Amino acid sequence: MNPRPRTAAIACAVLLALGGVAYAFVNEAISMALEAATPYVEQGFEVREDNWSGEVEPGKPLLIRHQLFRGNEYWFWAGTSWPGATVKVDIFDNEGNSVGLESFAKGSFAGARALPQKTATYFIRVVASYEKSGKGLTKAERGANDPVEGVGEFSGVLDWGLVYGYR
Amino acid sequence: MVEMSQTLSAALRRLVVAVSLGVIVPVAVVAQDAEAPAAPERIDLTNFPGELVDKVVVPIPAEIFAVLDKLDEPDWNSGIQLPTANDRGGERSLLALTFGSLVAEGFIAVQAKNAEEIETIGKRVLDLSESLGLAPSVRPHSLAIIEASKNRDWAKVRDELDATQQTVRTTMEKLRDTELSGLVSLGGWVRGTNVVTSFISGSYSEDKAELLNQPGLIAHFREMISTMRGPAASTPAIRAIATGLARLEAIIGESGNLAEEDINQLRDISRAMLEEFYFAKPAP
Repeated sequence: MNPRPRTAAIACAVLLALGGVAYAFVNEAISMALEAATPYVEQGFEVREDNWSGEVEPGKPLLIRHQLFRGNEYWFWAGTSWPGATVKVDIFDNEGNSVGLESFAKGSFAGARALPQKTATYFIRVVASYEKSGKGLTKAERGANDPVEGVGEFSGVLDWGLVYGYR
Repeated sequence: MVEMSQTLSAALRRLVVAVSLGVIVPVAVVAQDAEAPAAPERIDLTNFPGELVDKVVVPIPAEIFAVLDKLDEPDWNSGIQLPTANDRGGERSLLALTFGSLVAEGFIAVQAKNAEEIETIGKRVLDLSESLGLAPSVRPHSLAIIEASKNRDWAKVRDELDATQQTVRTTMEKLRDTELSGLVSLGGWVRGTNVVTSFISGSYSEDKAELLNQPGLIAHFREMISTMRGPAASTPAIRAIATGLARLEAIIGESGNLAEEDINQLRDISRAMLEEFYFAKPAP
């Protein structure tokens, strides 16, 4: 089987399972985070249904407390749905030391991996950023049709979502 | 419901389009190509220049079970203790706690790969959701749990158990029953803690005992119980659970190293808490 369609089929199945009937409250930012998680499900990560989400001013860091267990491996994936916005995620122990072993950031989604050295509370930092100031969407972002006045203009806050998986 | 459907439809449409365009496939590559800017080596948690998110996501028992499986080979079948359906009235706070414990029982049965018990639990979950008035939301999950267990698709059963709990909690929150939603998590956590401590008591090691180092979660549950309002807050069962949490905190909060005797106490305290709503109380 050609690996690409196979991967796409798995991605579709996983996303339907994660964001489908089983979980009817998926929001756009969570949906982006789940997209980032998809390839890792194939690697054996079990993605939790519960998650964190909200709105935040661009550039304002968010800190999320979470219990991790030594012996498990974790990925945290963050997302934002605002066109042109970016997001970044990092993991710290309860003394503020970075414990992320690997991370990526690609526009609307990002991820970070940790192998906790002890069972304890950890801190996940999420930063959503948007460089433009009040100009709204670019022509490319708007597409073929200009929106009506006020629609698509940046309101001053970004949506964000964070999910995690373990194995 | 319409809002949920629309949000879901929009999300699914975008996902299907993304898959069909091959947008999702490159994410794995992105993970290698687009390394994030390096994180600061250290941040000052006491003077964090941002916002601390209030929400606490409680780990499901399966997360702890996964570690225990790596450290040992527990006889998970011996950990299943599905109580006979008891009649403790329709007090919703107790039903919510029981629901959480029942889902945790399902996670134990999954570790045991015991399809028969999972099927029984799937049906009991549905019965309980009817008592809570949430059967329409839970029925698809219950059926999926039973179907997946017949197919011995254990990962799918775990996903559905997690989804069941999440659906119930989210529905409760939409109905402004935030207290009940928290009790579902607490019920699951206590049942998970009880079975884990039972196993560790039987074959103690420091590595296993470290799994109980969860002071942040206990503090969260204590705060949740202390802020409960309404008649449920003053019931003997909830008061007993509050006392149990305080006793757990006194043991876990003292130090990071839990001795065998500490684990035995945690097992007994969590058992006593479960006897308030889940297990039958021992005869006097």
